[in-house]
Amino acid sequence: MNDVIISLFASAGYDRAAQGVAGAGRRLAADCGAQLHAVIIGAPDAAMKAAVAAVADAVTIADIGDYQTEICLSALTQICKTLAPQAVLLSNDFYSQELAPRLAHRLGGSAVADGLALNLVEGKVRVNRSVYGGKAMATIELQRSPAVVWLRARAFDPAPLRPEATTAIQPATLDLPTRVSTTIIERKVEAGDEARLEDAKVIVSGGRGLGSPEPFNELQKLANILGAQMAASRAACDAGWVPPSWQVGQTGKKVAPGLYLAVAIHGASQHLAGISDAKNIAAINIDKDAPIFKQCRFGIVEDYRKVVPLLIARLNALKK
Amino acid sequence: MPVNIIVCVKQILDPEIPSRDFRVDAEQREAVRGAANLVTNIFCENALETALQLKEKSGGKITVISYGADSTEDALRKALAMKADAAIHILNDGQAHPDPLSVAQVLAAAIRKLGEFDVVMLGRESGDWGVGQTAGLLAEELGVAAVAFVDKVEIGADGLQLKRQTDVGYERVAATMPLVISITNDEHNVPRIPKTRDVMMSFRQPLTKWTLEDLGVNAAEVRAGNHYYAVVDLFIPVQELNCEFVDGDTLEARVEKFAQRIIEVTGSM
Amino acid sequence: MMNPELATREVFWNIPHSLVWVMYLMFVASMAVAAYGIYRRVQIWRRGLSAKRFDRPLERLKLLLKHSAAQQRTVREKYAAIFHTFIYTGFIVLALATTVVAIEYDLGLPVMQGRFYLYFQSFIVDVFGVLVLIGVGIALYRRAIVKPRKLVYTDEATLILTAIFLMALTGFLVEGWRIGATDEVWGKWSPFGYLLAQASAAMLSRNAMRAAHFGAWWTHAVLVFGFIAWSPFTKMAHVVFAPLNIYTASLRPTGAALKNLDIEKAMESGAPLGVKSLAQFTWKDLADFDACTECGRCTGVCPAHTVGKELSPRDIILDLQKFMHANPRAAFGLPNGNSSNGNSANGGDQAASRKPQAASEALPIIGALAATSPAALWQCTTCGACMEACPVFIEQMPKIVDMRRFLVMEEADFPDTMADAVTSMETRGHPFKGTQSTRVDWTEGLQVQTMAEAKDAEVLFWVGCGGALIERNQKTVRATAQLLHKAGVKFAILGREEKCTGDPARRIGNEFLFEMLAKENTEKLNHYGVKKIITSCPHCFNTFRNEYPQYGGEYEVFHHSEYLAKLVDEGRLAPLEKNDKKITFHDPCYLGRHNGVFDAPRQLVQIAARNAPIEMAQSRENGFCCGGGGGMSFIDEPKDQRVNQERARQILATGADIVAVGCPFCTTMLEDGINARKGDRDVRVMDVAELLWQAVQDSTTNGANKN
Ligand SMILES: Cc1cc2nc3c(=O)[nH]c(=O)nc-3n(C[C@H](O)[C@H](O)[C@H](O)COP(=O)(O)OP(=O)(O)OC[C@H]3O[C@@H](n4cnc5c(N)ncnc54)[C@H](O)[C@@H]3O)c2cc1C
Ligand code: SF4
Ligand code: SF4
Repeated sequence: MNDVIISLFASAGYDRAAQGVAGAGRRLAADCGAQLHAVIIGAPDAAMKAAVAAVADAVTIADIGDYQTEICLSALTQICKTLAPQAVLLSNDFYSQELAPRLAHRLGGSAVADGLALNLVEGKVRVNRSVYGGKAMATIELQRSPAVVWLRARAFDPAPLRPEATTAIQPATLDLPTRVSTTIIERKVEAGDEARLEDAKVIVSGGRGLGSPEPFNELQKLANILGAQMAASRAACDAGWVPPSWQVGQTGKKVAPGLYLAVAIHGASQHLAGISDAKNIAAINIDKDAPIFKQCRFGIVEDYRKVVPLLIARLNALKK
Repeated sequence: MPVNIIVCVKQILDPEIPSRDFRVDAEQREAVRGAANLVTNIFCENALETALQLKEKSGGKITVISYGADSTEDALRKALAMKADAAIHILNDGQAHPDPLSVAQVLAAAIRKLGEFDVVMLGRESGDWGVGQTAGLLAEELGVAAVAFVDKVEIGADGLQLKRQTDVGYERVAATMPLVISITNDEHNVPRIPKTRDVMMSFRQPLTKWTLEDLGVNAAEVRAGNHYYAVVDLFIPVQELNCEFVDGDTLEARVEKFAQRIIEVTGSM
Repeated sequence: MMNPELATREVFWNIPHSLVWVMYLMFVASMAVAAYGIYRRVQIWRRGLSAKRFDRPLERLKLLLKHSAAQQRTVREKYAAIFHTFIYTGFIVLALATTVVAIEYDLGLPVMQGRFYLYFQSFIVDVFGVLVLIGVGIALYRRAIVKPRKLVYTDEATLILTAIFLMALTGFLVEGWRIGATDEVWGKWSPFGYLLAQASAAMLSRNAMRAAHFGAWWTHAVLVFGFIAWSPFTKMAHVVFAPLNIYTASLRPTGAALKNLDIEKAMESGAPLGVKSLAQFTWKDLADFDACTECGRCTGVCPAHTVGKELSPRDIILDLQKFMHANPRAAFGLPNGNSSNGNSANGGDQAASRKPQAASEALPIIGALAATSPAALWQCTTCGACMEACPVFIEQMPKIVDMRRFLVMEEADFPDTMADAVTSMETRGHPFKGTQSTRVDWTEGLQVQTMAEAKDAEVLFWVGCGGALIERNQKTVRATAQLLHKAGVKFAILGREEKCTGDPARRIGNEFLFEMLAKENTEKLNHYGVKKIITSCPHCFNTFRNEYPQYGGEYEVFHHSEYLAKLVDEGRLAPLEKNDKKITFHDPCYLGRHNGVFDAPRQLVQIAARNAPIEMAQSRENGFCCGGGGGMSFIDEPKDQRVNQERARQILATGADIVAVGCPFCTTMLEDGINARKGDRDVRVMDVAELLWQAVQDSTTNGANKN
């Protein structure tokens, strides 16, 4: 059987996403009795090399400098063409999403987005993915080979380590285009809290129930641990505790995070109108009848003053 | 420098339909429309808005193309109301949800039939199936370069100057044309509300209609729409709609559970 | 004693016959100028679009008697009640007296004789002359000392008061010096004139008084005729235009005040949708501008103005009036030059420039004047308080909506979050973007049938978007449905087939969308053969009642408060357990002021509560808006200028524990306002249906033993 290729970016290191991709790749490889071949794009540091070598059967490094779409695409295509894989798995970062469909096209395969589970059924790869804004689940069967799938990588368990394996690490030999029609001329890294609230993946939001501006400092600590953005209800903005730009709701920002943690927010309809696209809502509120709970995945009925310090401590511990 | 822009749009089931009203037809593997409306996919509207803003500065022409059922005419009329110059409806009389390669092949054929173009803009993904591939596949079909997740398009020294989002921030890209770009939303490309007069005028404007046969694609394959991938199952996952109130004997135990749930949810993102 | 039957006086005493013609000349000239002034204004109105305002003459006459003759609205304000009545009645009496003189002298009919001369021509006229002086005094005091914020302080206003004062004063001088100089035997019948005569006698000889009389007489004449000539060019024009405006006022409830717009026709002709310039107003709108008395009551009651926003209905009217007279032709897209045939003498080469411009080239008004800035136009809640307050029945609010129509339909220029609501109405048939509820969530556990299921429904319960889709209000519509069940009313709902009536769309200014929704809804209702409708929302109520008939939707419409009150009256609902909290009732504008339903909801409060409801100072016709109408609940007001917080303040000031309402928008607006202001007090907002349901429920548990 042909290889399962996983494509990783050196710039991200062997992070949780890479681990998930490797885990998914290893299990798929096992299903089809194939080798797991990792391709690292860029120049990985020693730690990443070692980590990837510890999970993959083979590693190819394509040190092509900073990411340039057309060059990277060409490199991956060449590597995949030589290896003729069964499947190519990528993470769901922006670059991978940009590359995957075009890679599939160049390889004569089929791509699918945002996979949550991979299965091999009668030689074909099937991918489960969430559709209709999370309201439904679909199973997609890829008709052409290779299967090029970008995964919701962090949802997959990491690959088991193979400490005694001696994996070969090889540089790729590539024939890259010298002239391309698109060139990245500037790269800007924005600090997490510069990102727009609308794009935030996690949001910690506070309401009038906090009683004063100071508790927002506590919530900020919580947000830091979770890599979250801060937001507030209109009542809290009105009170002048936080800037008006933090307001979420019908007449504020409409957000769509993976987790919206509402602290001492009642859940008035105008507030809820701003968080209808959130994937998960959780709340801390002293009133079990607060309407916010009706929208919640999970919640805790308690005084936030007791919960928040404990939560900060627990999350700190769990994150380590 | 006038730019010849093509914008591809898709009509979808209103994504705002409340979960409790949402049903699927497992047999057809499609969502049930019910009382809900059809709307233009929001990212497609962001793309059209970006195109309109570019045209306001550069001059040129915007042609909107959509491949879809009869109802798609509404989406095209809305695009005309927003002040696109021309609209082309390619009738999909086959599978309601064709795979993205079929779509890209149809769009590419239509674009070739139109002749010259400078840039094609598409939404990054659609609010129904969230496929996220059409722009990339179209670029390959047309054999031109592509840039994804663009939120700003300006005229550059030697073509276009793009700003596109990345995981950690953004990048500026210099690109020569022809080019395919996928557009994502940002505060500057919130689709404009068409003027009522333009909405009414849009019903009096001509709309080009093409069939698959007009395009010279493999019509049978494209109608079946599953030579790239096939949907084999569609279902509504059983969801605890009710809030799980974390329980435990002590406050510490409850907070512990609460923290666990947070890690669970954020860990998989 | 002389015989009072013979009492009279000589007309034109002390005025040489050779000079009397001067007075007539002045009279004719002043009338001519005044007539020209009026004519000029009327000419301008004729540039407006048509409006049907001369039908139903009897009703119009009644209105005229009530509000022009009897001044029912004018006297609602305490200062105006005194000073305006004094000046107004004084003017009438003095004008009558002059007429008497004319009949006597010019027609040669001896009417100014005997007791009539003494009682009326001498005594009453004298007294009313004094009232005019007092009235002017009060008015000046109000302007100079009290200085209410709602007034406009112009030199013109001061000049007018001064002129009236001088006219009355010179009148008295003429009278007094005549009495003094002639030693008139009937002098005491004119007490104030007599006093003047006495006082003058101490200082002046008869001959001096005679000479002074001569001077005063001519001064008086010049003042009066000058005033007559000048009046039509000032706000005094209201003497003529106010009655005319009242006669041509709308005879429908203010809830029906918005005009129909023929969108198809506008599309064909290229005329702007909505009002872009004065050319799109009707003649009646233009007449409204001229009828304004500058009293400022509209602005005084305007909720937006009260909380410190720019919006001022008075200034909209006055700015447009000034604009109209400053640009009587260009404002309507007419070429300049007074009359197109008059300046043909200027040579044929100008003919080209005289080609009439299209109406669309008329000077735009939105944003061109301070009062008509888009910001101000987007502050109006369409509460109608301005229209209700206006003593001369000017229709301010529809003009605001006319201008919004232009902004929305021609410019697509309106606040973002309002645009979200409009888009949502377009695509989902409701304005609540982001709601998590469905149209039928509230029915969970209740046996509520839809029209499609129920074959024998007597009445349709129109739930409304605000009732079905805002979680808080689901409790209200649930309570209503449960009460209807309990009373054995066979009702059904439309369920998922229901769509917004279009009220917010219409009031935001998207008439196109409103029409689409109106047609779709009436078609559906007619398809089901609906005859009777209960609405939970006063906005739906108003639309059904006042607006859908034009679209072929004629139904008997009840607000739930009316229908429930009827059920209570019929004994079908019998509350036993009374709420002993202190309750006040907030009138929803679209139920109360716009449609005159004041008593039914109060009756329900009365029934459900142990104590009589507390009335707020601003209630019933004068109720103060919650801030949510006219699409305003879809935009964020600046935090220190919120109408709902002002209303909350008024509510909290009553000390009530519960504020009863009858509108989903009021419920959410007031809940938000009260929560922001109540501090630790427990003050709740409850719909009258919720109150009644509470009362009825308790009675069933108690009542179970009795049955
Ligand atoms: C036209 C209009 C537009 C609006 N737009 C928006 C909008 O865009 N966004 C928005 O947010 N609001 C908006 N609102 C306001 C909205 O109606 C609510 O008033 C507001 O959201 C309430 O904010 P809150 O939940 O923080 O405050 P509250 O309603 O006061 O709720 C406080 C909550 O904190 C809880 N609490 C109190 N003490 C504690 C404690 N010690 N521990 C834990 N919990 C505690 C309480 O149980 C309660 O649930 C709008 C209102 C109107 C009328
Ligand atoms: S309708 Fe109400 S808000 Fe609008 S101008 Fe009149 S009083 Fe003010
Ligand atoms: S519009 Fe009416 S209420 Fe307002 S100032 Fe003029 S006369 Fe007074």
